This record gives sequence, C-alpha cells and structure tokens, in this order.
Amino acid sequence: MKGVPIRQILVVLLAVPALALSFLIYQTGNFYVALALLLVTCLGVYIYLNPSANSFRYLFPGFLGFGLFVIFPLVYTVYIGFTKYSSQNLLTFDRALALFRQETFALNTAASYKYTLFAQDNGQYVLYLEDVKDAARRFASDPFELDPEEKAKAEQEPVKLNALPAGEEVKGKPMQMAQINRAKLLRPLRAGRFGLPDDTLVGLEGLTTFASRQRLWTQNPDGSLTNARDGTVIRPDFNQGFFVNDTGEKVGVGFRTFAGFYNYTRILTDPRIRGSFFRIFLWTFAFSALSVFLTFAVGMLLSVLLEQPDIRFRRTYRTLFILPYAVPGVLSILILKGLFNQEFGAVNELLRSIFGFAPDWETDPWAARAMILLVNLWLGYPYMMLICTGMLQSIPSSIYEASAIDGSNRVVDFFQLTLPLVLPAMIPILISSFAFNFNNFNLIFLLTGGGPQMVGGNAGETDLLVTYTFNIAFRDSGTNYGLASAIATLLFILVGALAWINLKLSGRQVKI
Amino acid sequence: MKLRPEQKATIRRVVSHAVLISLLALVLVPYIMVVSASLRRGNFAPSGLLPDHVSLEHWKYVLGIPYEEVVNPATGEKRIVKAETPPLLWFWNSVKVSSIASICILLLSGTAAYAFARIDFKFRSTTLSTLLILQMFPMVLALVAIYVILDFLGQYIPALGLNTHPGLILVYLGGISGYIWMLKGYFDTIPPSMEESATIDGATQFQTFTQILLPMSLPIFAVVFILSFIGFMSEYPVASIVLQARENWTLAVGANSFLAEHQKLWGRFAALAVLSGVPITIMFMVCQKFVVSGLASGGVKE
Repeated sequence: MKGVPIRQILVVLLAVPALALSFLIYQTGNFYVALALLLVTCLGVYIYLNPSANSFRYLFPGFLGFGLFVIFPLVYTVYIGFTKYSSQNLLTFDRALALFRQETFALNTAASYKYTLFAQDNGQYVLYLEDVKDAARRFASDPFELDPEEKAKAEQEPVKLNALPAGEEVKGKPMQMAQINRAKLLRPLRAGRFGLPDDTLVGLEGLTTFASRQRLWTQNPDGSLTNARDGTVIRPDFNQGFFVNDTGEKVGVGFRTFAGFYNYTRILTDPRIRGSFFRIFLWTFAFSALSVFLTFAVGMLLSVLLEQPDIRFRRTYRTLFILPYAVPGVLSILILKGLFNQEFGAVNELLRSIFGFAPDWETDPWAARAMILLVNLWLGYPYMMLICTGMLQSIPSSIYEASAIDGSNRVVDFFQLTLPLVLPAMIPILISSFAFNFNNFNLIFLLTGGGPQMVGGNAGETDLLVTYTFNIAFRDSGTNYGLASAIATLLFILVGALAWINLKLSGRQVKI
Repeated sequence: MKLRPEQKATIRRVVSHAVLISLLALVLVPYIMVVSASLRRGNFAPSGLLPDHVSLEHWKYVLGIPYEEVVNPATGEKRIVKAETPPLLWFWNSVKVSSIASICILLLSGTAAYAFARIDFKFRSTTLSTLLILQMFPMVLALVAIYVILDFLGQYIPALGLNTHPGLILVYLGGISGYIWMLKGYFDTIPPSMEESATIDGATQFQTFTQILLPMSLPIFAVVFILSFIGFMSEYPVASIVLQARENWTLAVGANSFLAEHQKLWGRFAALAVLSGVPITIMFMVCQKFVVSGLASGGVKE
C-alpha cells in the first residue's frame, strides 16, 4: 500500500455519510438508533484504521448485514413473542395515551369566540380569537401551517394561543369569510387543535365561531385518567393491554404490553390454538420426515441405476433427471399446482380416463397431503441424487468384487454393503434436508395455501407451522404478532437444535 | 431354470432402462405440458402434450406486444390487448435483484470466509457455529421486523425503503452464513503454503487474499453465485411483502399473481414460466459441473 492511502480514503468516504445519517436520525428524535449507528460507525473506523484489529476487517461487512437482517429481526421477534401485540393491542402505550388526551367534549357553559385568520407573507397563518361576550379577552397564535393533506395526529400538540394585550394588533392580512376556501383552509382548520393559555381547548363550531372544548380525560399522578364529564376513573391494565374502569371493563383502544409467557401458555392452554397447533406440529413433522425419506429413496435408486457401468446414455439421463433442480422452484411448484388442478388438471384427466376416478386434491385433506408429498418428492429427489452419486463414486469397487466371489447379488450388496457405508455420511445431509422442509414455506404457501380449511379451526389441514404462523401474523383478520412471534421462537429453538446436533455429528466440518 | 450371467445382465439392463424411462417421463411431461399450455388459446390449466389451438397470444402478452382478441365470437367483435406492465419486466427485475444480491453475497461471504479460514482469532469456531444456527431462523417469520427496519430506513434514505429493489437486496444480504461455510470449507482444502511464501516475499495479507487465494477459488465462487442466484430467483415471501407496486414485482411474485384465487390465468402464467424459466435452466445446466462439485462441500439449495 504505497502512495495513495486508498484504505483511509475509503474509510472517510463511508464514515462521513454514516455520521451524517446518524445526526439526521438523532435530530428526528430516535436517540437510540442514532447512538447505535454512531457506535457501529466508530467500530468500523477503528477496525479499518487500527492494525491490531486485522481479522475483523474481513468480518465486519458480512457481520453488519447479518446483524441487521438476521440477528436483529430474531431478537425483535423473540421480544415480540413476550408481548401482547396484535390488531387489538396495536399502538404503543404513549400513542394510546395521546389518543385519550386528544378526546374532547363541548362544555355546556362554553364560551364562544369570533375568529379571524391572518395570512402571513410566507404562506403561514395566524389565528386570532375574540370572546363574543368579553372583547377584552383576545388571543392570537404564532404563525402555523394549514396543510390540507395533514390529518390531526394523535401525538400532535395543539397550537398554542397566547393572550393578546390590549392595543396590540396581529400582523398580516386579515382574511374575509368568503376567502376562506372550504377544502384548503376550513377543513384543516376544523381538524386542527388549538389551546388557550389556561389549557382549555378550543375548536371550530359551525362556520364563524370557535367554542371552548375541554379535554375528556385528565391525567392523575398515579397514571390513571379521570373522565371530566362523569368522574369515572380508568387505569391502565398492563396485563390486558387496555385501560379498564372500576368494574374491569375495557375502555378505548388497546396498547402493546409486556406479557411474559402469556403467548406461550396460550399455545398450550387455549383450546382453539392448542388443538390446531398440535395437529399442525404432527403434520409438519410427518411431512418433513416423509419428504426426506422419499427424496432419499428415489434419489438413491436413480443414482444406483445410473452408476451401472453398462447402462447406455447415462450422461443424458443424469442431465435430464436434474431438471427439476435447475428450474426455479417457484415456477415448478406453480406448474405442478396446475397439473393437480382438481377439475381440469392433467393428473385427474389421466386418472379419470384410465381408472375412472379422480382424487379431490384440493378439498380432501388426505389427497392434498399426498399431493404435497408427491410434489416435494418431484422437486427434491435431484439434490439427493447428486449427493448420492458423489458418495457412490467414492466407494472403492474392490469391496463389491470380494462379495461377488461369495456369489452375492446386487440387491443384497446394496443393503449389506452400500447402504451401511453411505448412510452415516448422509446423516448431516438428511438432517439439514429435514430442517429445510420443516420450514418449507414456499411449497405449502404456493401449492395449497394451507388448504383445505380445518373444520372448526383457524388453520388449514396442510399448513406447516411456518405457514400457520405467517397467517397468524399477516393474513387473518385478527392479526396477532405476539402469538406469531412466540410460535416463531419455538420453531427456531427446534430447528436451531437440529442444526446444532448436525454440527456435532458432522465433526469433520468443524475441525478448525 | 438357472439363468446364465449374460442373460441376467441383459434383464438387469432392460429393467433399469424401463424404470429410468418411466421416471423420466414423469419428470419431463409437466414441463412439456407447460410449453403447450403457453401456446394454447385461452387460459386453461396445463393438460395435454400438444396444444389444440395454437396461438401466440400469451407469449405476446408476456412480452408486452399488443394482440387482437375476439371478445364476442357471435359478432366477431375484437379488441386490442396489451399488458400495462409487460410481465417479462418481472423477470428482468428478478435477474437484476438476484444478480446484484448474489455479487454482494460473494463479497461479504468471501471476505468473512477468508477470516474464518486463515486468520486465528478468539471464538472463531464458536462464531462460525453460531452463524449457522442463527440462520435457521426462518426469514418469513422475521418479516414484521424486516418491515419495520425498511420502513424506518426509507424515512431517511428513500432509495432503501419499502417497495424498492435496493431495500429488498439489502434484506437478502443477511443470508450469508451458509455461503460462508461453503467458501470456508473450500479455502480449507487449499494448502496455505503458497500464501505463506508470498508473505515472506513481502505481500500484504490483502494481496495474498486477492491475488493468490481468490484466483484458486474461482470454481467455488461460481457455485455460490449460482446457488444464491437461483435461491433469490425463487424467493417469494419477503419479496411479496417488501415490493408492493406491480412494476417492481419480481418473477416469483408476478407469476403467482396470475394464479389468484378468483381468476387463474394459466396460459399467461405458462408463457411467463417458459420465457423466464428457460434461460435460468440453461444457465444452471451449463454450470452444472461446478454446482455438483460444490454440493459436496455442503450447499443446500433453497
């Protein structure tokens, strides 16, 4: 590295935008994200400029992506699994509270105000209010925007109006009533929220006057809220993720809350979930095991057949048999979905014309399961065939010669010599194939979508745990991220344990 | 009656060919049917080896070429049909996203694998195992978090947000640990003696990596590229959540959209499948040798 210090220049070129971004994020109020980005940037600069951090120079970029898109989502999902977070408990506590604080009601003794809007030179406006009964009570706001697109936001603080001392006038051009365009000004004005110095709120009533409104809920020091109209008190119940009144009734919107093992106990105890969960678990397990067995059996059969030296066209056969592995999986799955179409598909047309019967691939649960296994066999055998071929080729032919002298035949040879030799080496491959099928989302989601629907359950008969969880999180009306994340965590523990066992078994790979 | 050895061998050969040919028929027939469905007028599920009414309408639709369609057979009324976004664009999007993501994967996993193979540091083997185990967490189920991240990023850098290809590529870059393992396994088989002698001659570590190890490892990089490319081409769930606008869709999302529950457009799907499946299949077949050699070091196609 003589001459131009390329590395140093690169570090600066990458670090400066990162720092700028970090500052931008800090300015918009996301302190912790900005801090994290700042720390990561500093770490990066340290690693690339300090000679003693040498090994991490090669690891840093990869780990950055891995950390952001594997580890963070994982941790976040595990965390959500311990919370109540669903379509009913959607908002954060602060936002739910802000929604309560936004609720207002008109007082019977409401004071009303005449209003005038003063247009400013820079396109902003100043609101001027004057009490109808008491002309000395005058208020004016600071200049603010009236954006026709913007809806009143829950978090948004009301625009403050300040008392206007006698004799002082508002700057700007007063607008005539007719000038106040309906869509452009009146609607945002009505949606906007304005507060007087004594913390009462005022809002537009009708066309020409503002009236004072009062906040419906006042916050007490202990965190409870008091209803200003009827005096009832509600307090947040962090177990339920709702505000409840004295009789325990839920009031208003729910909020996200930490729930401990609530989602996990629900999987075990809620009869609606428990029933379908264990059926799906069994099917997922059976599906994975059968898929591995079938693909291995067919892949092995093909590779044994193609390893016979006196068979012609071996290369051609092998190339053609790899085809399902070469075509993108999504396309293959959808093509086979078409062939298994219950009414018009080729499979049923053929079966009808030969045997006069046609299984209901789409509506009969067992037929659907059989179809899934067949399709997965069709998609998965080439991989096994390739692996088995490699293994068979590594077996020295001398062992067969010895057994041939003893007068053994090929089938016996296969089960007594080949299989015992190949199987131990195959175990890591079989386990990782099992783990892959355990979470084979694409196959089920694209082929059956989990259907047919389970009777009385909220799942499909052919759903795997992974598609079932996906539906809980994204598809159903009762979106439940908390429950979905809890199941996802269980799934991860299960498959992660399999991967760990696999690592221990294939010790040859971990020799470091 | 006892068979002579030559007769036994003949029977074995005949039986083998019979089994191979019948299985091969099961493998090939679906693909032939798709080609025929793509050439058949009307949107019917694939069946039959030869199309009865040959028409190029689906191919034209997929390529974005306008064609005439008879709306009412009785009056012979016709209308011009043209795809608003040519479905082949999805194929192009997929190729773009998959190849850029795969190249980035090569860079990230290549450098990381080098560190794991050649540099001694604390917790090396633990880190390597942890990577593999953490990767078992199914990406589909982390979609809530991925959505949150992209939504957040998009507020600051719109080009990396939801509904953008760079955003999707960024998400894909998380899936590197399998490839790190493959590459590291390959690096381990190359004796470090050449690099050591280069170091003695005054080469820096980076130079030994890029000028000695990398050229010797080109085959395994080809494998990683192909496997990750094909993997991304087939990726459905993440792309379907991240990409919302029709013109941004990838092949997987677009192909599935033809088969929506209420209206299944098999003909158009078949044409898209043929036009986009053939180039990828050919690419895979050409590189087959590389891939098979790489599988031995433990790559799983997803």
